[in-house]
Amino acid sequence: AWTITGNFANVIHGLNANHLTDQVIQRSKRMILDTLGVGLLGTNTEVCHKVTQYSKIYRSDISSTIWGHLDFRLPPLYAAFVNGVAVHSMDFDDTWHPATHPSGAVLPAVIALSEAFPQKKKISGLDLLLAFNVGIEVQGRLLRFSSEARNIPKRFHPPTVVGTMGSAAACAKLLALDQLQCKNALAIAASYAGAPLANAATQTKPLHVGNAAKHGLEAACLASQGLQGNKQILDMESGIGAFYTDYNPQTLPTLQSYPWLLDQQDVAIKHFPAHLGTHWVADAASSVRRKLVESNNLLPLDKIEKVILRVPEVKYVNRPSPTSEHEARHSFQFVACSALLDGSMSVQSFTTENIHRPALRELLCKTQLEHPPDNTPSFESLYCEVSVMLQDANMISDRCDTFYGHWRKPLKKEDLEKKFQSNASSILPAEATEGIIETVYNLEKVEDCSVLSTFLSGQSARALSEKLSFL
Amino acid sequence: MWILTSSFASFIHAVQPEHLSKTVRHRSKRMILDSIGVGLVGSTTHVFDIALQYCRLYSSVAVSSVYGKAGVKLSPTLAAFTNGVATHSMDFDDTWHPATHPSGAVLPALLAASQMLPPSTKPNGMDFLLAFNVGLEVQGRLMHFSTEAHNIPKRFHPPSVVGTMGSAAATAKLLSLSTAQCAHALGIAASLAGAPMANAATQAKPLHIGNATRLGFEAALLAARGMEANPLILDDIPGCSGFSAFYRVYQPKPLSTPSDHHEFLLEKQDIAFKRFPAHLGMHWVVDAALSVRNLFINYAGSFSPSLIRTIVLKIPVSKYINRPFPSSEHQARHSFQFNACTALLDGEVGLSSFTESSIQRQELRELLDKVVVEHPEDNVANFDKMYGEVALLLHSGDFLTGKCDTFYGHWRKPLSKESLLKKFRSNASHVLPEDKIDTIITMVDNLENLSDSSQLACSL
Repeated sequence: AWTITGNFANVIHGLNANHLTDQVIQRSKRMILDTLGVGLLGTNTEVCHKVTQYSKIYRSDISSTIWGHLDFRLPPLYAAFVNGVAVHSMDFDDTWHPATHPSGAVLPAVIALSEAFPQKKKISGLDLLLAFNVGIEVQGRLLRFSSEARNIPKRFHPPTVVGTMGSAAACAKLLALDQLQCKNALAIAASYAGAPLANAATQTKPLHVGNAAKHGLEAACLASQGLQGNKQILDMESGIGAFYTDYNPQTLPTLQSYPWLLDQQDVAIKHFPAHLGTHWVADAASSVRRKLVESNNLLPLDKIEKVILRVPEVKYVNRPSPTSEHEARHSFQFVACSALLDGSMSVQSFTTENIHRPALRELLCKTQLEHPPDNTPSFESLYCEVSVMLQDANMISDRCDTFYGHWRKPLKKEDLEKKFQSNASSILPAEATEGIIETVYNLEKVEDCSVLSTFLSGQSARALSEKLSFL
Repeated sequence: MWILTSSFASFIHAVQPEHLSKTVRHRSKRMILDSIGVGLVGSTTHVFDIALQYCRLYSSVAVSSVYGKAGVKLSPTLAAFTNGVATHSMDFDDTWHPATHPSGAVLPALLAASQMLPPSTKPNGMDFLLAFNVGLEVQGRLMHFSTEAHNIPKRFHPPSVVGTMGSAAATAKLLSLSTAQCAHALGIAASLAGAPMANAATQAKPLHIGNATRLGFEAALLAARGMEANPLILDDIPGCSGFSAFYRVYQPKPLSTPSDHHEFLLEKQDIAFKRFPAHLGMHWVVDAALSVRNLFINYAGSFSPSLIRTIVLKIPVSKYINRPFPSSEHQARHSFQFNACTALLDGEVGLSSFTESSIQRQELRELLDKVVVEHPEDNVANFDKMYGEVALLLHSGDFLTGKCDTFYGHWRKPLSKESLLKKFRSNASHVLPEDKIDTIITMVDNLENLSDSSQLACSL
């Protein structure tokens, strides 16, 4: 199919030297010359000195852990990036209300940063925990500046807007920047914020979180080097307001008994790696399946005439026939059919084989969506109804208002741990996974949070016993 | 009113562990645990592999030159970043119509990339020049997708929007990516585009160009390694914005496939080069101010500020360049008032006009006090149509005016070759010796014949 994007790609690819006219050559050479001169001159500026200093940091002696890897390390910026990508790579990470993925934008950055301090400076678990929460809080507060943010997004992917700011705030906190530097960190971060939603459901989406973490960290580092931005970045419509059509910023409450948003509003933790909206669908579909299966525990596929999903209108999760894992994770239809076939969803549901299995494709063809007007596209209020119409005209339906893992029905401790173990054990040895659980549960008492990084790299607990010190 | 950002900064700075409630600790630790687990399992994914491969490039690959720092090398994208910042650091770089700073977003990435490629595949000068023009062309075409782009921007700073895309396109071209990879480079770049205007006139503004060139370059490198994005990123997708996210009105148009007759936008629409390091809008008022200054000197014998009662500036409406009393160099470069008064006072505006001492001069402040600003309806905030008018109302009751429709350096009145070279030499001489300066001039002049374009980067 012909597209503008494809057209651009064709042109970029197809243009060759013969297409350049004399005038274009002449003009562009003038531009090149002028730009070089201007650049050379600019090297003596303060701003340039700062960024050069900053960029020189990336020598190989300063490095941070890449989760799951003992064999090499990366500079903090890229560790934050890579680990952030990992966190969002399968759309398995937490979701908040108003909608964003708060932790992935912050945690990789603060952990990477915690490893980058000069040797004498120890970062405690409590420092890390505080910085983390600052990063979450700032995101939540910013999301409340626009009524647009209440609903599932359409224009900019929220982690790229508020996530970058949250990462900057968290890193600024960890770096113990002064007030002015904190302001500048926010200002600089704003200039990195904002990626369009269209890359959701593609392989690039995970980079949204990776980049949010990385760029927030960069902004904080630049601020700590003295770089300055617009100190009214949150006040102005041409600041962070640029990302919203309605923007009404509000001041934060006073520090006295500070009311954290996380106190009032928990996150949702996902059960399986797909867009949050599909979790309602999976619950309802599994329940319908239980009603449908016969004694042999098989779904009577050939008896199914139609599958109707009543979901909110969310264009980027409406995919009748996904072909990649990324699309499958953003498809109401796919998750409904998978859950109907298998009874539950898991990491395995999104393998290539499972995405393309004939039974699933067949069921997908029978699936359609309906958008009841009362089904608002908000993670706070949406619901899903799955109705399976059989050939004999019988209709089996069920509805899910709140899936297990949603903030209204949070995962129990055992189940949260089970998810963690299941995920981590495929990468790390048992000692490391247990070490992480221990460390995180006692985070506020950990004197030196570098133990966390060491576990993350896969080093065994035995080698670390000296490092562990809980009160 | 301007207390919001401060309140955030205060919060970040002042909040302490004691402020964490029990619930918050509990919940946040759950989040941390889950996040780590999810990250660990995520390290088995394909996208992770690509990202990782990409990052490992930088372990100790410092191959790209930094302007004016012989002997210093950085990893390619960071070199691009640094050089991009240098380019825009003083707002001295070129400006196009529709408005953006096209070259700074493209050239640093290409220079850095040329040094990154192995000797056997070094692009020649022609390849380089072509890639540069691809970068410009894509920027220009994208700006034609929205009528918003025709006027001086209000929301997103154009170099951060189209510049990133241009850099991605240019580096994709230099790296000879396939058509599919070119599309993905654009898609990945879109997710790295877009900085708000509010940081213009601050020290952070130069980062917009630095990041545009760097991140577009990153996008191309990721696409080269197989990263995929939305293949419809430039198309209009209702309900799920792609590149259109950055505009209120968006009407994309295709590029003609280059058969024999692709007309580059640069053919029809030349660029403006600045004569002094300040926002383009300043150039009109400066020329107008210089013109009225001459009249004034003829009238009064010399420039006597005490004779002036009011200075009236007739300028288009554009908030971020309307600053009655700038306090930093960055603000001064974005102030109609400052530039007009400097021109009146000194008879010229140049590098030294923006030093701390120049900005704070008493005589200048006195002149600034006399300025009033008017926004005639016919003075549109558009680099193709605007004008600058400076009127001096004297205590005697007389008034003198100067008007500038087209300043020298604007595309309608381009700098001569001599003027352009003079600017280059003057700039480069701050950091490079004479012979190196000559080398660069010759190399660029003969760019099409250069067999290894990385020599250009090496000569910096």
